[in-house]
Amino acid sequence: MRQSPVLSLAAVGTVAVALALLAFFAIAVLNVQQLTASWGENLAIVAYLDEVPEEAKLKRWVKEIEAYPEVGSVTFVSRAQAFERFRKRLGDDADLVEGLGVEVLPASLEISLAEDHLSEVTVTGLVERLRRDSRFDDLQYGQGWLEKLEAFLLLLRISGSALGGFLVFAALVIVSNTIKLTLYARQDELEAMAMVGGTSLFIKLPYLIEGTLQGVIGGLTALGLSFLVFELILQESLGSLLLITGIDTIHFLPSTWQLFLIACGGLIGLLGSLFALRKFVRYGSA
Amino acid sequence: MVQFFNVSKAYQRDLNALSDINLKVAKGEFVYLTGPSGAGKSTLLKLLYCAERPTRGQILVNGRNITRFGSSRIPLLRRNLGIVFQDFKLLTRRTVYENVSFPLEVQGRKRFEISKKVYQTLKNVGLEHRLNHYPLQLSGGEQQRVAVARALVVDPLVLLADEPTGNLDPEVTLDIMELFKGANARGTTILMATHDRGLIHQFPRRVITLEAGQIATDDLPLVDGFADSM
Repeated sequence: MRQSPVLSLAAVGTVAVALALLAFFAIAVLNVQQLTASWGENLAIVAYLDEVPEEAKLKRWVKEIEAYPEVGSVTFVSRAQAFERFRKRLGDDADLVEGLGVEVLPASLEISLAEDHLSEVTVTGLVERLRRDSRFDDLQYGQGWLEKLEAFLLLLRISGSALGGFLVFAALVIVSNTIKLTLYARQDELEAMAMVGGTSLFIKLPYLIEGTLQGVIGGLTALGLSFLVFELILQESLGSLLLITGIDTIHFLPSTWQLFLIACGGLIGLLGSLFALRKFVRYGSA
Repeated sequence: MVQFFNVSKAYQRDLNALSDINLKVAKGEFVYLTGPSGAGKSTLLKLLYCAERPTRGQILVNGRNITRFGSSRIPLLRRNLGIVFQDFKLLTRRTVYENVSFPLEVQGRKRFEISKKVYQTLKNVGLEHRLNHYPLQLSGGEQQRVAVARALVVDPLVLLADEPTGNLDPEVTLDIMELFKGANARGTTILMATHDRGLIHQFPRRVITLEAGQIATDDLPLVDGFADSM
């Protein structure tokens, strides 16, 4: 690195920029996933009750439904509570319901799903079971919405993987070419090493180590850069955007992802050097 | 020590750089390869250190057929050869000491052994006081002496020199030739490509003249200015 600082800097910079882009994308994907997961958490099946049973009976019903493995919790919402909620939701237009009695809204059981059962299949299954139960007048849940959420998450994961793969591949090609430039500058040295009997590994090893180091430094720089941007920009602008949707905070990459990013840098540097060296260390032509 | 059997080398189809070369160089011999530019002198040397592969024929070095050597065996062959080029091919970012010690490091010799050997070799070429200089701080003659030291430090079986004095003035040329003579006297076989007829007359040895990729003449050492044809 000491011998060609500009080219080494270019290699480190390339890895840093590519991985920083990847890190930004990962931060976005992670936070969107978290956001949609929180939407999923709020997913509930509302079972409207034709008749409100007496308290002991109601408790038995609640316990009975809570015993289902896919159910997280069951909350009873009385007519009065439902009416109060509705009135609050109307806000300034609350006077529209003035004069109406609580009996206009049915009592209900709000059934939240267990965290590991937030899927379309489970919800549909549970709804089918409840539908067969004559105690419940009507059932409501986010039918089409859940399907769309699942499709969106899948699309996000696929596009994330594709874009990530593309970015890593682009970084690999650019790093390989940058390292090639470094090697052009040292072609005489490589040739001289081969002339005195240096084995391929003996000649390549220092360059492979150098490439890996450059990649690791690039990865660390990307991490620092993305953290800086996260702190200074993302938390401000994206944070306020997410507040609207009900998420009060956005998160940086977890430590395993950070390590993965640095390791990815090292791997890009190693593979980039390996590809570049293939054309340089040759012993003769046929 | 070196044998060529019907060796041909073509870089392009129907354009032979070397054609049907048959040659035998005994252990401890000093052989000049001469001829006009493009005659095949450098190609012949390149075939010996496997920078090029023959299109046809077999080459033996120290009894081993190097024609079929794979890339993993080439470094081992080169460790037994000393190679000197017209343009020195020194590592400019390494000191004189590091340049000369490099072939020994490649061979995995011990540090103490390396320093002893390097110092001794640099003393032989008269550069022991330039250990810590970089090649570009030296004159052309001194750089070539470093290159010779790098070639000789491994006690090579064969020293291959491709126009080693081509860039040097006459006085420095004599110094380099004295180094080659000394190495030859210690038993190293030398093949030296040159088109300097004056040098050949001054240091008479066996002369192989190449013309258009073929051996035109193979003469025994000159005696009193005359050559005995083989």
